[in-house]
Amino acid sequence: MQLDFWVVLSYWQVLAKGLALTLAFTVSCAVLGSVCGFLLSLLRLSKSPLIRIPTGLYVELFRGTPLLIQLFWIFFCLPVVFGISVPPYVSVVLALTLYMTAITSETFRGALKSIPSEQHDACTALGVASWNKVFYVIFPQALLRAVPPLLSNVVSLFKESALISSVGIADLMFVGQNISNSTARPVEFLSAVAVIYFLVAFPLTRLVGVIETRMLRRYAY
Amino acid sequence: MTAPLLVAAQPQASFVPDSAGGDFIQLRDVYKSYGEGLVVMDHLSLDMRADDRLVIIGPSGSGKSSLLRVMMGLESIQGGTINFQGQPYIDGNARNQGKPLDVRLQTQVGMVFQHYTLFPHLSVLSNLILAPMKVHGLSKAQATEKARIFLARLGLESKLNAYPSQLSGGQKQRVAIARALMLEPKLMLFDEVTSALDPEMVTEVQNVMMQLAEEKMAMIIVTHDMHFAKNIASRVVFCANGKVVEQGPPAQIFTQPKEPRTREFLEKVLHLG
Amino acid sequence: MNYQFDFHFLTGNFGALWEGLKVTLQLALVSNVEGLILGFGLCLLTLSRWFFIRWPAQLFIEFFRCTPALLQIVWFFYCLPMLFNVFIDPITMGVLALGLNLTAFNAEAYRAGVQAVPREHLDACVALGLRPWQRTLYVILPQAVRTALPVLMTNGISILQQSALVAIVAVADLMYVGKSIATEAYRPLETYSLIALIYFALSLPIAQLVQWLERRQDTALAR
Repeated sequence: MQLDFWVVLSYWQVLAKGLALTLAFTVSCAVLGSVCGFLLSLLRLSKSPLIRIPTGLYVELFRGTPLLIQLFWIFFCLPVVFGISVPPYVSVVLALTLYMTAITSETFRGALKSIPSEQHDACTALGVASWNKVFYVIFPQALLRAVPPLLSNVVSLFKESALISSVGIADLMFVGQNISNSTARPVEFLSAVAVIYFLVAFPLTRLVGVIETRMLRRYAY
Repeated sequence: MTAPLLVAAQPQASFVPDSAGGDFIQLRDVYKSYGEGLVVMDHLSLDMRADDRLVIIGPSGSGKSSLLRVMMGLESIQGGTINFQGQPYIDGNARNQGKPLDVRLQTQVGMVFQHYTLFPHLSVLSNLILAPMKVHGLSKAQATEKARIFLARLGLESKLNAYPSQLSGGQKQRVAIARALMLEPKLMLFDEVTSALDPEMVTEVQNVMMQLAEEKMAMIIVTHDMHFAKNIASRVVFCANGKVVEQGPPAQIFTQPKEPRTREFLEKVLHLG
Repeated sequence: MNYQFDFHFLTGNFGALWEGLKVTLQLALVSNVEGLILGFGLCLLTLSRWFFIRWPAQLFIEFFRCTPALLQIVWFFYCLPMLFNVFIDPITMGVLALGLNLTAFNAEAYRAGVQAVPREHLDACVALGLRPWQRTLYVILPQAVRTALPVLMTNGISILQQSALVAIVAVADLMYVGKSIATEAYRPLETYSLIALIYFALSLPIAQLVQWLERRQDTALAR
């Protein structure tokens, strides 16, 4: 069995297009998901059970089921539920965003919890209360502490985005599989696709580590 | 470092060494428990004068930190009353669950903690001016000027724009003291502020506290450092099991404790140093 | 929304769903066992003194952590038979792929646990005359596991979710069976909702257990 990796190079344009689509979905859903996740974490701080229970349930549901089934449900069931046809791109963005929202709301919640109680005590001791305390002391620290795990979430989303190939979106995974099928060279092309994913995800993961040590050590103890 | 730390010097009061009384603070029958038989303040009564420096000593879990935290309004009591400057301050039987009744009185209490006191994401200057500006309505210029003066008196003026992560433990605690003093409190509470510091930094913080004592600031100090307690206290209070066992001038307590429980504790503690 | 919910067609398919569920559970449980045991071994390799053991181990971990699980599964299914000229049954291949993926993530979890063991304990072992393997087995492993347990369990749940991906390479797990039923009966809504609920019911108790464990660890640390 002959392995010929140079073949991959002749398909670089198609692969690049796939990568571009993957990145487009990742970035847009990451941004949307982070913003919505932040808002959701604010909602979850509410004292009213009418707000806390549905939002808590939402997060548990999206964390406790496979992303694949979330994708399939939104892709196949949503049009049925609403009786309209939903374009594939919209379904995919919706699914990834809803998933990302649930994940990031937990990230923000964790960041808030990780602030030492002495910070709250210091505010009481100084008489800095409610809106002032939240705006000047608590939230800045929560946001700072949330940045490294948020970036990790984005890297995870980048990897999970490969699922959208299963509903026919021409992302990097889809393109790679297609070519490997048509050229009957799965080893070369699937490995190449793996390397491309790796070359994006690995530096980002390292970056998270650097940010964690440098930035947090300076501004968050 | 001889310039006064306090913006206005406290009025002179007569100092009667043997009196355990006082009308600056009066705790009567204060009761606090965390449920399930964990009682930290068991009908505790204590008086304090406006020029007293109380040092509270005792075994862990004897309610020392709880007393400070209750005075600051960080925790509630379930029974008893506390008067502050002659006015009702905290009532354990009141509906608000034993938290300070008058916020204005609460703002006259300042507190410095053992760990993580400063806001790490703000510079030293921002740490100092946040509360004066947002709570007391000072302008940024006024607050900054005041902060500058305090830092200069502590010898930390060069650290105005530094971040807490760039300061040593001793510098952080001194800034924390300055931050509390910016609000011109009538009472300062120190909760084991040197316990987490390396030995060589303990002195610089204790010197600041001594200077405050010389300027007649009312303070309640919880500490393990008996040598420091001897130097700074006007009265030493030994607490155990949520009660005041014995109190008196440091000279008397440390050399001739009356109660056996006190003797037992001091033997264990002083034996080592 | 005028849609007639009809769950009756599902009753006829209980058998198929049950078979699919069994496959899913098999995948999840076996790959968890694999991941828990091999993960610790891999973690020890990354902490080895020798560069030529450390670096390949680290590379293995990074590769499995920085590429999509779906891609790993597809790669195993299409490339392994080709490369080694063997036929392995689908479920075993799924277990292999998922297991190695979990091994990499667990290795990182164990590493955090191992590094959390205070140096004083290691010194004490030397002082007591314990040999390195004894130290690892009796002192490091228990403490590392205790610290890492919440993460290990969360990773375990995660592999349960990822196991659904094998449906894409036509392994007859719960997801695949669900997909078949949904397409044959033209009833995606009921089927996929039910499948989602089953996965949820499987992972929720473990997630609650993790939360309980973390709360206990917090109080233990506070003391």
